[in-house]
Amino acid sequence: MKTSRPPAVANAIKPKRRPEVDVDVIVIGGGVNGVGVARDASMRGLSVALFERNDLAFGASGNSSGMIHGGLRYLTYDPQVTESSCRDSGHIQAIAPHLLFRIPFLVPVDSRRGARILFELMDGFFEAYDGYQPLKRGKSHARLSADEVRKLEPGIAGDLVGGMTFDEWGIDGARLCTENAIDAIERGAKVFTGCTVEQIQRRDDTGEVLGVVYRDRTTGVIGRMKTSVVINATGAWAPITAALGGLPPERARVRPGKGIHIVFDRRLTNYAIAARTIDGRQIFLEPWQNMSIVGTTDDDYYGDLDDVRSTSEEVRYLMQGMARVFPQIRSARAIGTYAGVRPSLYAFGPSEDNLSRDHKIVDHTRDGAPGLYSMVGGKLASYRLFAEEMTDVLSELFGRGVPCATHKSPLPGGDAVCDALTLATRLEIDAVAARRLVYRHGSRAERIAERIQQRPREAVTVCACEPVLEGEIRYAVKHELARTVADVSRRTRLGLGACGGMRCAARCGQIVAEEQGLPPREGLRQASAFLLRQAAMRAPALGPEQARQDALGIASMRAELGVDAEDAEDRDEIEATAKSSVEATA
Amino acid sequence: MKRRIVVIGAGIAGVAAAWSARRRGCDVTIVSAGAGASALGGGAVDDVPWEQLVRSSRALGLVPRARPLSDDLHAFSNDLGAWSLADDRLAWVATIAGRLRPARGRDHALLDFGALGGARVMLPRAERASWDADAIAAGLSDDPFARAHRITFIAADVPVLRFDEERRVADGDLALRHDGEARLAWLAARLIDGVKHAAANAVLVGPWLGAAGSRSEALSKLVGVPVGEALTGVGSPAGQRFEAARGRLLAAIGARVIDDRVTEIDRDGGALAITLRHGASLLVDGIVLALGGLIGGGLSYEPPDHRAAADLPSGVRAPFVLSLRAPVTLVAHVGADPSTAEATSSLHGPDIDVAAWPRGDRPGTLESAGIRCNGARAAEGITAAGEVVAGRPRTALEAAAAGIRAGNEA
Repeated sequence: MKTSRPPAVANAIKPKRRPEVDVDVIVIGGGVNGVGVARDASMRGLSVALFERNDLAFGASGNSSGMIHGGLRYLTYDPQVTESSCRDSGHIQAIAPHLLFRIPFLVPVDSRRGARILFELMDGFFEAYDGYQPLKRGKSHARLSADEVRKLEPGIAGDLVGGMTFDEWGIDGARLCTENAIDAIERGAKVFTGCTVEQIQRRDDTGEVLGVVYRDRTTGVIGRMKTSVVINATGAWAPITAALGGLPPERARVRPGKGIHIVFDRRLTNYAIAARTIDGRQIFLEPWQNMSIVGTTDDDYYGDLDDVRSTSEEVRYLMQGMARVFPQIRSARAIGTYAGVRPSLYAFGPSEDNLSRDHKIVDHTRDGAPGLYSMVGGKLASYRLFAEEMTDVLSELFGRGVPCATHKSPLPGGDAVCDALTLATRLEIDAVAARRLVYRHGSRAERIAERIQQRPREAVTVCACEPVLEGEIRYAVKHELARTVADVSRRTRLGLGACGGMRCAARCGQIVAEEQGLPPREGLRQASAFLLRQAAMRAPALGPEQARQDALGIASMRAELGVDAEDAEDRDEIEATAKSSVEATA
Repeated sequence: MKRRIVVIGAGIAGVAAAWSARRRGCDVTIVSAGAGASALGGGAVDDVPWEQLVRSSRALGLVPRARPLSDDLHAFSNDLGAWSLADDRLAWVATIAGRLRPARGRDHALLDFGALGGARVMLPRAERASWDADAIAAGLSDDPFARAHRITFIAADVPVLRFDEERRVADGDLALRHDGEARLAWLAARLIDGVKHAAANAVLVGPWLGAAGSRSEALSKLVGVPVGEALTGVGSPAGQRFEAARGRLLAAIGARVIDDRVTEIDRDGGALAITLRHGASLLVDGIVLALGGLIGGGLSYEPPDHRAAADLPSGVRAPFVLSLRAPVTLVAHVGADPSTAEATSSLHGPDIDVAAWPRGDRPGTLESAGIRCNGARAAEGITAAGEVVAGRPRTALEAAAAGIRAGNEA
């Protein structure tokens, strides 16, 4: 890894830029806020480097429900937030139309005491929300009778007075991050994944930011990069990052709230269905990509942020709430869970649900660290706005008059429509595979198609559940910063279907290793690590069918790879043993 | 009158039990409701899980060695005719993931690298989803065993698919085509050219060499160098070949096979009564339960909250259940405590989130649950064998050995 000096931008006035820096801005964190700032700042002519300890979208950004909602819950007390949320949801939709999926919500209202009044209130409430819907291409709400609710979703249980619909949109958070990062790179930014910042260096006298010391977690190589501005966009890791700059962690404090989702093997319903948990929290069953999810929990989290896992208890809590409204959820086939930790704004006292999802920028000048900023709080739906606000600060700092354009300029792949069926015919691939390819890559599916046309072998389906073609995996490694099987999975959804990667992980490992010139056994090690991690995330939600599938998965993994993570990391010893055996027989 | 034995399940364990009970002169009937783990197996014939073998050898600084097997096991394997089971050495097989791993024995069609030191092995390229010859060759060349024994692997452009649709058909269908002599000769001709070109002295192909029986020996003879399959973990034609060999063996020993599902086993005086779903019930002297574990459906995992529509499940129940009612005891190793043998003290079921999969030497809950046995004996007149038995390795030779024991004791 080299720290080459970026080409200087000639005509700018740069009061803040010192001649000896490598880049204008270093962003720490490859979540949606980090890549959002990297993109925006690059578009406005600043030179940017981004460091991510794990992978893009590794934390909350890649493990959310994907909803870019309009902030419905702020409507009663803070309509401006609703308006800005809706407006920004509309902007995100405009720049990444390929990554969207519609989430029509159905809110059944059961006939307990006061339900009629509640129903009328809700009607008025949603009517007010309707006013904002055009901002995000949403439809107006509909007021439904109990019969109509049951006609739309026959699985809904209970004695109902009626129901409401309202309209939201969802997006693939991991792809959103990837595409922001790719766009930033194409505009000159450097993005280092798997690269952790170990120290934010500051001047002893003035406290000003001088640069960062980073370590490549794969190679162990340590490097230094000079800058005058560091942005801490590390979500739940924010206080840790602040501490790397010698600040008390409290200066970038968040309230880390773990949220899990349960994943089901198919679309169980046409509508997202709202329900409540035993403690009155709002949860939902949501048709999501080609599956369904139930979410979300929100619990204060004190564990390891690099290894967040769901538990049986969390799964049962969600299932209990959902089953009251949609009892069939108990017999549906859960194929996994995923978990992330939200970085909500810090407050001591309120329950998790009453925490603000607002965001703020902390200028650490007041902590004696000029040049260091922390982005705390925020949510997926407002990432672009948050990034814009942060970049406005930078723009002023560097004396740039360039206005933000991230709401107008499409993300990679979002510029044109690519017809999936034509693509399927042209490449002689399955129409579903083509549709999913176009969903993930938009117009850039063309680039993968060109690859495949040049090398027809790459039309082979590696992951049959999603499906994912070999060409897409190679593309993700070459052009989308994927370094491991897990990275490929985040970008393509490989191995996240019902078979849990049983058929594709090892194959993907072979490809990933080959593309990067790594020893093949590194690919197998990654495959083992991925399979074991996925198994651990499935286990809390196991039902009969998936338990059977998992037993087969164990047998399959044992036959081909060995179910032993330690072994996978410890293969040199086997080699030594094998060598000594040759010597012994010789 | 001959002692009447019913074996429930026709996987490796069930067939071995039928074989040994017949040898003892019993009247044997097999009741089977379909394919299980044996029919899905890849053809590696292990006694203990191979990672354990490698790990323990490594800890002792020893070369992994074959453990001796009983004469009965060798006799059964010979009669079945599907496996190569050496007396004194391990087989080393190549997996399609690109590893070389030891196996106590192997399906005849799998290529054994234990005796191929110094070989140059050719892998023909084929446009099939699970067969990337280049990547597999690269992986195998990088394997410690291959490097230690100077075995090299090269991918080569040798046409092995005859028709375009063979890019997509299942491994089993492709294997079936090689049952025919003409097709095998066609393949041999291609491989002979390839071997000459590549100066190879062995050929590794995908799991395509025969459905009714291994075609590896015949093909090797035609080509003049060893030709064999790589190991696929699940869904390999080795399962079909096992089923074919089983059919031949059961016909040879004269065991009756009933295609039905047993729903219940009851005591009826000194005898046992078996209720079938479709057929008439049977009255027998001994029963061997060889119905398979979670994979085969002999056992299922049903946490109490599954299908419980209301807030709380209706009651406490053990999370693992047999597919039939029988007077035997189930054991589930939940969590770190291997002795937990009853319903968890939770209305919702056990917390298997940490323990479901194996870790190190500890087997996972999903593969250790089953019937509690004392030796082969599960209850008076009832023995058990194979994956339905608690806490035993899920391997082919374990199933066969347990089957033989259960058949003897029944």
